[in-house]
Amino acid sequence: MSIRPVASLNDLQAQVRLRRVRRVILVGSGKGGVGKSFVACGLALGMAKRGFRTAILDVDVHGASVPNYLELQPPVHSSKSGLEPKKTAGLKAMSVALFTGDDPVPLGGDEKQELIVKLFALTNWGPLDYLVVDLPPSTGDELRSVLRLFGQKATLVLVTTPSPRALSVVSRLRRLAESEKLSVAGVVLNMAHYERGKKKTFPFGKPDAELVHRLLNSAVIAQIPLDPRVNSESLSDVLRGRTKMSSAFDSLIESLTANLGR
Amino acid sequence: MHELSIAQSIVELALHEADKNKADTVTEVDVNVGEVMQVDPEILRKALGALMTGPRLAGAQVRVRLEPAYFSCRKCGSEWDMVEAKKQLSQVPDSLLIREPDSKELPLHFLPDLCAAFIRCPACGSSDFSAVRGDDVRVMRVVLE
Repeated sequence: MSIRPVASLNDLQAQVRLRRVRRVILVGSGKGGVGKSFVACGLALGMAKRGFRTAILDVDVHGASVPNYLELQPPVHSSKSGLEPKKTAGLKAMSVALFTGDDPVPLGGDEKQELIVKLFALTNWGPLDYLVVDLPPSTGDELRSVLRLFGQKATLVLVTTPSPRALSVVSRLRRLAESEKLSVAGVVLNMAHYERGKKKTFPFGKPDAELVHRLLNSAVIAQIPLDPRVNSESLSDVLRGRTKMSSAFDSLIESLTANLGR
Repeated sequence: MHELSIAQSIVELALHEADKNKADTVTEVDVNVGEVMQVDPEILRKALGALMTGPRLAGAQVRVRLEPAYFSCRKCGSEWDMVEAKKQLSQVPDSLLIREPDSKELPLHFLPDLCAAFIRCPACGSSDFSAVRGDDVRVMRVVLE
């Protein structure tokens, strides 16, 4: 019999790679400017530091910023096992920006979906305890690819500022997660407060766990303070010290590993 | 190097189709290789020949066809081929080329969907174009028994 295959080469290869990944943590918001990439990178670095085999996949095709936070540059190397992820502080990373540098990536829907499948399928991740996926602001093509790729192995971490205006936008992604039967691990309130000396301020309003629960139907699992040092120092260095920010990431990792299994 | 990885995926796909259709053997595989990827069809053919062994694959006829690339601009309607695209691709900086063990390759060798990051419409300069054909590796047909 003559068959025209329905599955693509990359879909099958992705399934093979995924067999060696224990859990996939999607870091998303459905809203821009709340610090998804920052939280995703901090989470991934922290997990790698604790000895978990961890990688981060940046699927924000148009606004890839994982290489910025992790201080990674092109070029990518390849081997007989595929594209080699960049490595830093025990963490593996892959992003479209490692192929395009600072050039824009003006791709349409189908191209983006295919690109994301290939980025995952062609990368030689090796065995992983956790794959952290940095989602783009939208709830469009990239998210569709990710849900199709990672299915039941994925859980979602919602990132938002405490602002009620932000929460109402993020609630759209929460509702999409419900309809897609995607589990939600909890909510990270980023830029929750700012401390200078003994003075604590709340640039995006005082966090209101009850409001978060009402709008997002999920518990707050970490509150990450603003720390201006992330603009001038590497994220890895900022998280290395014993600071309020590194403690907040520790709480996040404790909560997630307890929830997802170590 | 990437040709070997593509060949492995083609073999997996052929076996997947054989399993799905409860067939014993794969007798023919037809593959189209998009020109955009600049994959060497001869190397791919040899890699497939080396991998297609064992009772279910040995003796299968493998055809690898190079599919010429063709682009169409959504903004001005211009159309162009790989000769024009290659002029632009020759300008991709060395710092972005993928380092293979013994050569350097364009990112499109692995990720052909990135065309719009490296190619512009030669008539109007727009990045809003589509690769009408020749932009990927596709298994067109598998014959099973």
